[in-house]
Amino acid sequence: MLTRIAGGDIVDPVNGRLGEGDLWIADGVIVEAPADGEAGRTVDASGCVVMAGAIDIHSHIGGGNVNTARLLLPEQHSAHLPRPAMTPLSNAGWSTFQTGCLYARMGFTTVVEPAMAPGAALHTHLELADIPIIDKATLVILGNDDFLLSMIRDDASATMIEDYVAWTVASTRALGVKVINAGAAAAFKENVRTFSLDDTVPSYGVSSRRIVKTLQAAVDRLGVPHPLHVHCNNLGSPGSAGTAAATIAAAEGQPLHLAHLQFYGYGTQGKRKFSSEAARLAELVNTTPEVTVDVGQVMFGQTVTVSSDILRQFSARGSAHPKKTVIHDGDGNGGGIVPYRYGKDFYGALQWAIGLELFLLTDDPWRVFFTTDHPNGAPFTAYPALFELLMNRQARAELIAELPASAMALTTLPSIEREYTFEEIAIMTRAAPAKLLGLSDRGHLGAGAVADVAVYRRDADIAKMLGEAAYVFKDGDLVVKDGAVVHYRWGRALRLKPVPDKAMVRRLEAYHQQRYGLSLGWFDFPDTAIAREQPFGEVPCRS
Amino acid sequence: MAVAWIGSREALVGDAAAKAADLLQSSRCPVFSLDTDIHGTRAAIALAEQVGAVCDHAGDGGALARETALFTDRGAMTIAPGETRRRADVVAIVGELPEIHHEFVGELATTVPDLGGGNPRRFFLVGPAGTPAPPLGKGRKATPLSCGGQDLCGTLAALRAQCAGRRTALPVSNFPAFAEALEGAHFPVFLFSGHAADGLALAMLQGLIADLNRKKRASGLHLPASESGWGSALVSTWMTGFPLRTGFARGFPDFDPWRCDGARMIAAGEADLHLRIAALAPEPPGKRSRMASIVLAKTAGPAAGAAVTIAIGAPGVDHDAVVYSSRLGSLRALGARTPSDLPAAAAILRLIAEQVGSEALPC
Ligand SMILES: [Zn+2]
Repeated sequence: MLTRIAGGDIVDPVNGRLGEGDLWIADGVIVEAPADGEAGRTVDASGCVVMAGAIDIHSHIGGGNVNTARLLLPEQHSAHLPRPAMTPLSNAGWSTFQTGCLYARMGFTTVVEPAMAPGAALHTHLELADIPIIDKATLVILGNDDFLLSMIRDDASATMIEDYVAWTVASTRALGVKVINAGAAAAFKENVRTFSLDDTVPSYGVSSRRIVKTLQAAVDRLGVPHPLHVHCNNLGSPGSAGTAAATIAAAEGQPLHLAHLQFYGYGTQGKRKFSSEAARLAELVNTTPEVTVDVGQVMFGQTVTVSSDILRQFSARGSAHPKKTVIHDGDGNGGGIVPYRYGKDFYGALQWAIGLELFLLTDDPWRVFFTTDHPNGAPFTAYPALFELLMNRQARAELIAELPASAMALTTLPSIEREYTFEEIAIMTRAAPAKLLGLSDRGHLGAGAVADVAVYRRDADIAKMLGEAAYVFKDGDLVVKDGAVVHYRWGRALRLKPVPDKAMVRRLEAYHQQRYGLSLGWFDFPDTAIAREQPFGEVPCRS
Repeated sequence: MAVAWIGSREALVGDAAAKAADLLQSSRCPVFSLDTDIHGTRAAIALAEQVGAVCDHAGDGGALARETALFTDRGAMTIAPGETRRRADVVAIVGELPEIHHEFVGELATTVPDLGGGNPRRFFLVGPAGTPAPPLGKGRKATPLSCGGQDLCGTLAALRAQCAGRRTALPVSNFPAFAEALEGAHFPVFLFSGHAADGLALAMLQGLIADLNRKKRASGLHLPASESGWGSALVSTWMTGFPLRTGFARGFPDFDPWRCDGARMIAAGEADLHLRIAALAPEPPGKRSRMASIVLAKTAGPAAGAAVTIAIGAPGVDHDAVVYSSRLGSLRALGARTPSDLPAAAAILRLIAEQVGSEALPC
């Protein structure tokens, strides 16, 4: 069927299309306006902004740690209200089903789960498969696993390390690779309590920096489109801006992505030895073109921190609210779950301001990404309010007025006038993520792109406008109308499919037999285990 | 071979599923007891939501509830089985462990840690005198840590106090040996289960582990009382936000470990229909029970007293399956060992769901 989205304000920076016009869809893809086109369905988009479906590059939506967080916090579900009645499991709160529906309502059509433990790949993909409507993807975690650390210690060849990374990406069906506090989880198992970029992991004598550099090179040489996704050392501690700056410098001309930079935007100025270094970090990002960052914005309220940075989560146990935590030593990273409430106190206010500074002081919307590190800085349901803060300086000023002056004195935020435009929003949440992840079939509205389209009715209230899309199409299916899900469908998990090297498979077989007492088959699974028709979509590597 | 029965009469699977759907739709308070694989659980929860049923584990629901309560109420420090094998130089078995885990404990006894220091492994057994220990092989024995007539929780309390340097009314037997082992240990691991440990004991153990982590490392390996039970709890958690003992009678998932205790609801006469999903044909209901039941089990004949019986295959035997593996500490794909035509529980549950009529979960 030919669908015409008529008379909307089209915002498609990739194809240079800005302004009123029609958008045509046929068979799940965007097509050129047909010469003698008779639309089977016409959607009136007058008074609406029309963009590609949004892409979230970093949101913890499924997998072992996320599910443990659900288990730990049956009371957390009230944070995800309200929900429309009369749809299956619509009142289930923080479930896989809600995740897909709530994302779709906002016009998001692809979301990346950024922290999949290799050993929990099957579990992660089963959860993702139960998230309706949207497409998903995963980044697989390496960098605290004995196999890699041993290879680095033993000066294994670059090819051998690439073979291992390729096998891991292939067997776990990942779209990219993430390293989380490289080496720290392994060091923590040997009772190390703080760990920085040039500290070494006991028993291996390998530094965090060397792990990052090794993985960065392997990912690049394998042609994985997404650069190595780095969660730096010292997350959350005053002075961590120094670690982030050192990590940015360590990119050394090769692509590198730094996750949730806000959590490293902290200096040690002021009476409380806690201040904003966001302006300095933003300047570094501005002048380091090979680096991309996402923000991990903090928004006020109750949330839960879910992280495979077990060392950091262990040390944050005392701040848990409510007072219960899970700390899990896994085969590689493991992780920790620490519920937390961001209050409008000095620290919360400063964290909030630092995130916004990073958004507003980073010049290039192609290199700064829209995240709250869901749920670590805030649940993704806070996105509409965050769009409002970025696009409306008056909204910022009103909130700043409610916050402690002592905190606002340590940030440049009150002096920043910039407001994001729709075009910049379309770059930051559509075009740039597609480019960063190597998804050339989305993030824009050119002919041939998958018909993932979000239509927003213009409203002075940005949060309302971007929070409840007028229409959302996924692969050409109308899935949301007037902010409500009208059609369930199942998306796919986007993955790379490098061919594993046979010698490496033999080596891993022997390793797993000897060290774990289990054959490699225990750690792998067939696609049919997901029990959906098309659980995966293949994305090519760079050639 | 017949594969479905209405009462004791052979029936087509479709007819039996339709009959089951009728019963579910007219039931005021259906209870589902699950002993099935991951996809069976997914389908069961989808059906439960449609008909307003309560889902509980079919076996020792109490043990599973104690394990989930540890997480929902308190949190925990845990470790993966693989890391336990590779790092644990002190292994403390906490109370009686379910037999399904004995093989792994035996494996720990016959291997040595290869990461983190190179100590050999030493075994301790925490609990009242007479706590059965898994066989460690070759005459190896776990050193018992008991405390007079104290139960498991009391023993753990005394052990925790002594580890913290506090005096106790009665000393824990062999404490000096344990203290010395901890002193030289790189990574002590406590093996625990809700099988024989009550909630207080599980919480006390976590208190001890937290104390040890002030200065050194230690953790607990969760060995679930039931693998299928823990697997179902994980699925329920992602699908609904809550573990088992969640009901849908009020139109939304309602997690209530007391009210949604399936065995209690049946005993108290609250439930009026029992859907049992089991690997093997379950015991017939007690004589006094008038409650109707639907049984999905690997059976060659109708289940005694059941209104509907449908034969299903065993996960990983008759059909491919995904299950929770405590050996892996995560979900695992299993190929069918001896493939047969017997359907998976998930397929039958979906067939019933299609007949129920109201909007089905897109599952
Ligand atoms: Zn994150």
